[in-house]
Formats: sequence, C-alpha cells, structure tokens
Amino acid sequence: MNVSTIQDFSGYDPTWCPGCGDWGIGVAIKQALIQLGLNPSSVAAVFGIGCSGNMNDFLNVYAIHSLHGRALPNAIGIKLANHKLPVIAIVGDGDCYGEGGNHLIHACRGNHDITVITHDNRVYGLTTGQVAPTGQKGFKSKSTPSGVIEIPINPLSLSITSGATFVAQSFAGDVLHTASMIKAGIKHKGFSLINILQPCVTFNKVNTYQYYQQRVYKLDENYKKNNLKTAVEKSLETNEEKFPLGVIYQVEKPSYTDQISQLKKETLVNKKRFVDFEKITKLFI
Amino acid sequence: MTDFTWLIGGEAGFGIMTTGVVFSKIATRSGYHIFDYVEYPSLIRGGHNAYEVHVSDFDVSHLSPTIDVLVCLNKETYEKHKIRLTPKSLVIFDEDEFEIKENCKKIIIPFKKILTDLKGQPVMKNTIALGASIGILGGDIDELIKMISEQFAKKGEAVINFNKQFVQAGYAEVKKSYSGLILNYLIKKSEGDKLVITGNDAFSLGSVIADCRVYSAYPMTPSSTVLTTLAAWQEKIGMVVRHAEDEISVINTAIGSSFAGVRSAVGTSGGGFALMVESVSFSGITEIPLVIFLAQRPGPATGMPTWTEQGDLLFTVFSGHGEFPKIVLAPGDNEEMIELTAKAFNLADIYQLPVIVMSDMYLSESHKSVSKKFVDNFINSYKVNRGKLINQIINNKSPSFAKATEGKQKYLRYKITEDGISPRLIPGTPGYYYQENSYEHLEDGHTTEEAESRIKQVDKRAKKWLTYLKKDFSMPKVYGDISKSEIVFVSWGSTKGVVLQAQKLLLEKGTATAFIHFNHLYPLDKEKVTDLLNQDKKYVLVENNSWGQFGKLLTMETGIEIKESILRYDGRPITVKEIVSGVR
Repeated sequence: MNVSTIQDFSGYDPTWCPGCGDWGIGVAIKQALIQLGLNPSSVAAVFGIGCSGNMNDFLNVYAIHSLHGRALPNAIGIKLANHKLPVIAIVGDGDCYGEGGNHLIHACRGNHDITVITHDNRVYGLTTGQVAPTGQKGFKSKSTPSGVIEIPINPLSLSITSGATFVAQSFAGDVLHTASMIKAGIKHKGFSLINILQPCVTFNKVNTYQYYQQRVYKLDENYKKNNLKTAVEKSLETNEEKFPLGVIYQVEKPSYTDQISQLKKETLVNKKRFVDFEKITKLFI
Repeated sequence: MTDFTWLIGGEAGFGIMTTGVVFSKIATRSGYHIFDYVEYPSLIRGGHNAYEVHVSDFDVSHLSPTIDVLVCLNKETYEKHKIRLTPKSLVIFDEDEFEIKENCKKIIIPFKKILTDLKGQPVMKNTIALGASIGILGGDIDELIKMISEQFAKKGEAVINFNKQFVQAGYAEVKKSYSGLILNYLIKKSEGDKLVITGNDAFSLGSVIADCRVYSAYPMTPSSTVLTTLAAWQEKIGMVVRHAEDEISVINTAIGSSFAGVRSAVGTSGGGFALMVESVSFSGITEIPLVIFLAQRPGPATGMPTWTEQGDLLFTVFSGHGEFPKIVLAPGDNEEMIELTAKAFNLADIYQLPVIVMSDMYLSESHKSVSKKFVDNFINSYKVNRGKLINQIINNKSPSFAKATEGKQKYLRYKITEDGISPRLIPGTPGYYYQENSYEHLEDGHTTEEAESRIKQVDKRAKKWLTYLKKDFSMPKVYGDISKSEIVFVSWGSTKGVVLQAQKLLLEKGTATAFIHFNHLYPLDKEKVTDLLNQDKKYVLVENNSWGQFGKLLTMETGIEIKESILRYDGRPITVKEIVSGVR
C-alpha cells in the first residue's frame, strides 16, 4: 500500500511565531496520521479559534474551521453522520477549557469517539497574551495585571472524572512522543484527549521550554493506566508543577455511536432513505 | 350541520391532555374535522388545565367564541369558562362536588359516586367524562371503547376491561337521565382517514418525509414535543436524535452532521434560539445547510413559557452577526407546516444556508385534522433535492492518496459561480479534501483578509438570495379579491385560520374583504410585494405581538406603512371576534 507523505498533508506555510510549540504539534499530527495509514481524504478535523486553530490552513484534510469553543459539538455531529470516519478536534486551552468547557464535559460523558488535541500554552496567544483557564494562580497578564485570582483548571482530572476513556499528556518539545500519543488517541475507540504542554514564546515568559524540561517526566512502564483513582492522583500532580507524560488513563467502553442501534448496520450518510411512511402516519389516526 | 366546541377542564396533572386528544380522534374517526387548543400553566401539578376542541363538518383552524359542551372536572373550570356559555350550552359536572346557581342546561354526572362504586382512581374521572360526552353528543360508544382498547393495548385485557366500565358508566348515565337533551352532533359518517396532528407533529412528519437524519435539540416549551416525538421514532425511521447539553451544542452538532453529508435540523424556542444565533452566522459563512425550527412563546427572557406570541419575527429575520443570506418561512397551518418543512430541507441544500421555520405555541401545540390523502399525495409528490451536492459513493478504504488525486483538479469549496452556489462535496470522498471556514476565505476555503477576495465572497453569498427570489420564493397567498374589497388584511404564520374565519363572518354581514397571508417571510420580492400593498385600500395588519413586527419589516422592504393594526400580546391567540369587531 502506498502510504501518504508529509507533503500530502501540508497546506499553506504556517504563520506561527518562530520557536512556537505549535510547530512541533503540527509535525506530530501529520506523522501520526501517516503512521495510521490515513490520507487527506480519509480523516476529518475540526479546528477551534486561536493560534492552534490556524493550523487549518496548514493541514490538508476534510475540515471545518469552527467558532471559538465549538469544535467539539461539530466533531460529534460529524461522527454521528459518519461514524467510520476518524474525527479529530484541534483546539486550544482557552478554546476548549474556557469558551467550550461545557462541551468538553459532555463530550466526555458521551464517550463520543473523537480525538481532542489541545494546545495548552496557558495564555490566549492570538488576542495577545491574556491568561487562559490553565494559567497558574497569580499569573500576571494583560487581563490580570495583579495576577489571576482563579486556580487553574485541570483538564486531565476533569476529563477522567467526566467519563473520558483515554486521557494522555505530552510536551510539544518532544515531537516523537507527542505523535505516539496522538496515534494512540485516534486508535482508541471512544473519547480521547491529548493535552499538549506547549510553550508560547511570545506571551508566556513563565511556562517556557526550560520550565517544562525541568518538570516533565514520562510515566514508567509499570504504570497501570486503567485505574481511575491512580489516574486522578497522577493528574493532580500538575497542581504541584510536576507533569506526567504518557497515557494517564485508558479503559475500553462502548462509544456513543456503538450504542445507537440504528447505526449498527451502516453509517447514517450511507444508509438508504426511510420511505415506509405508513408506519408514522398511522400513529395519528 | 355539525359545528360545536367541547371543552374539558380540571386540575393540572390529571390526564386532561390525553383525554382531549382521545376526544379529537373520536371526532375525526366519526368523519369530522377538528381544531383544538390547550391552556395550561408552566407547572406539572396544581394549576388549571383546559382543553377545547372545535368540531366541524368543514376544515377548521380557529376557535369559537362560545362553548357548546363544557365538562367540569372541578369548580374552577366552571368559574373560568362560564362567560363563554350560551343558554343552549350543556354543562357536565357532579353535583356532589359543587353547585351551579346560574341558569343553564345541567348534565349531572355522579363522578365521585361512580369512582367509589367501581373503585377507580381520580384520573378515571376523565374516562367517565368521555363516556358522558360521547353519549350527549350522539356519538358512537364503540368507537370510544376501541380507542380505550388501543390506548391500553400493552397493559392487557384486564386493564382494558377495567377502564371500559368507566366509559360505560358515564355513557349510561346520560342515556338514562338526559335522553331528551342528546345532540346529534357526532353521528358517524364516512369520510377519508384524517390525521390528528399538532404543528410540532407536522414539523416532525415533514422532516421525516424530507429525509432528515440528524435532529438535535434541548427541551424548551413549546418546541419540546418535536424532540420527544422524533426520539420515539428514531429507531424505526433510522434517524439519530441528540439531546445535547445546551443549544450551542445542539446547533453545532447539526452543523457537523450536515457538513458530513446528512440532512440535519434543530428545534427550540426564542431563548434557545438566542443561544444558537452565533452559529446561525457560522452556518451562513461556511454555507453549511441547516434547518432550524423555532416555536415562539411570549418573551422577553423566560416570559410566559406555555402561552403564545409572534414576538420573535424581527429577531429571527436579523439573527446572526454580519451580513449573510438566510431564508425564513412561517407556515399558516399544519398542511403548510408539512409542506414548508419538507421544502425547507430542499432550500437549505440548494442554497447552502440556514433556513428557519417559524411556529408559535398556538400552531405548535394545537391539533388540527389533516386529511390522510393530502399527506399521502404530498409524500408521493415530494422530491428530495440536494442541490449541487456532488454525490459520490463514500469509500473509506480509498486507494493511495496520490493515485486518487491523479488527474483531478483541486476542489474549490467556495467557487465563484453565476448563481452564487458552489458545488458541495461529501467529506470522505477519495482524492479530495477541503475546509469549511468560519473566517472569510478564498475559493479553496483558506483564510483570507484580502479586500478583493472578501468582496467576491460577500457578493457570491448575496447572489444566493437573488437566485432564491427568482426560483423558489413564493408570493403570499391572496384570499378574496383585492379589487372588490375595501378592507385588506395582512398577516403571517399562525394567524391564518382566524383571519379566514373573520372574512367569512364579515362577508355574511355584507363586507367583502381580501387577505394577504405571508408564509415565505424573508427575503421578500420587494417589487411584487409592493404591488400588492400600494393599492387604494384599507390595509389592516393582524399580528400576535405588540409592535406589529411584520408591518415594520414590510415598511423596511417596501417603504409602505400599514397604519391600521389588530395586535394581541397577552399570551393568548387572536380571536375571530377581535378581528371582526376591529374593522367594523
């Protein structure tokens, strides 16, 4: 079989700042898609709004460049219509954990078979550096000059306890590992989240490459990823500025579309039109 | 001749709604037409429920000012509705529960005693009342027993027989003591089958006929029964119904599934629609087809959830930030609801834009009988038209991408065309890819901020409206002859039935009128509409809101101001009487 190439997936030249973590994530996504044997016609992506979402112009696939925060329900809709198509959502932390936070919780609950790839840089880059929901307490930004009062959201424990069946974390500085996490997430049947720690070289002078390099560590081989309680504990290490990398939680459960009987035989988009209208009209006589 | 109103009232939570539908179906199964209306508070228990059914030899979609048979399951029903009684009206009640001092024709049914004797539950008072009602109206008891048997079919013979006793007790009481008062209003006659449906049922039916495959919603009165009806049907008809976490998710789910190639719709009321508006605009710029069902209720904010109003018209017409085309339709009755819902899906696909079908509580929750022949004929004549959708078989196991793209030109999602409509491709089609983009974009879908490309895309989208006005816009229907009338009514949507009836009554009194009824609300063919409105006549606007919003829209589009108006905005539907007395 002819595999696809990086070239096949490459659209316009990226406009990210030199040194931005998004470059690494962009390469990792393409590598994961190639390794999974996918091509630009056989995968759908939904992009949020933000520096992360701008990847829409740089990645060739069937895609929607959605509204800020709304990528997940779009992705769910695509999956309902064609559950055989792999669907990924490429989003930012403000996008998915702020504006679209409610959608995340409910996408987890439904175990919708979509892969959410979050660029977590803890700031709003595209609007020039306001604090994001993952920003550390006290982080000084343009919108919080005296330091943010709220504590950060923990996307890992939030999704695990909301019903996600695959939750992983990676670091944008490690492209190979990030690609392997994305690959595992897409392969996973059910809701998968990959939270990618991503330095913003322009607006976040605290959570830099160096900051993460000193604080990330890979989960060891003996780590049991199918235990909810240990997974939540692992996730909470983030609160102490320790960042586990790898698959933090994974269990096998039927996905949302697995549980819809009318999708058992074929996809919604491929099925024949319903025409036995007598079955419906007789109910009203 | 049969033309009467039956009203049953009682405490909320005691089966009034179900009883009303059973009564309506008995009337249609006996060969009559019906239109019904429910009044209920936004409570599950404790308030007052009233269900009235207008039964006639002819097609009806309006309520009568008077009540011919009033069934009082409590005293409050009598007190609330006695104002609509005439000396000829019959009142069914239980003397053990309350007394009626006023002079009227009393049909005393010992509900309490029958319940005690037969060890029935309070809800079975309805069943006794149905038996008594069918008896006094000269209806067929077997028809009622058949309905009860169907209703309890799943619960078995014993339950059916238990319930039958209450029907028979009510019926026997009338035959025994009131045989002299029996009206021959429900004498069985043979007519073709009729469907007893609400506006919401009509939307549901229309969407199934149109091959809608995803319906997404969040419960909100008065739109909720579309969600529950389609949810109940989904396995049978192969639709997927998603009750999402909020209306923002609702509309974005449908946009996703529509992008992936299936016809998709959402339903809500004003408050939920307010949450969706961001994505109405999103559907507008991405040109992803979408059908939105909007059942209005009185606002602002939570307003009066279980009452009726046409107060969201201007909000709907102008919903969404930015300039983009959308189509707004407003059916006048159930037949139009079936037709226009199915048409809405074609329009959404042909013009690749959001199409909003407007209803209100009055249309959404009232039952109207619709001839089955009409529905069958419509089903047979309806053609699914997916517009410029490139229909290729989807094969997820495609050959190599390089091979699949060989010799193919790059697909342009937003290609500039004469009619403004670009060919649309189902994602998954081998050898292609593209993006729908919420940013302004180039023909290939990529983001742009460049001036010339922006103008091209704005103009392309605007052209879709011009194409629609040429090909698919329908002018308002004119009832009566404008040239021979002094008075010309102008209305839209659900007020159709009452205005038609008012025309009849006015004609009987010697006043010929004309009536221009709009159901294709926006955009409008300005020139043609102007010709209808600029004649030397007394135009009277009829709307269920306080601003005369459609009048404002017409002024904006044509420069013509309709000076006279009959408006109602207390949450109740406009009545025939108000219209007749409003112009005399």
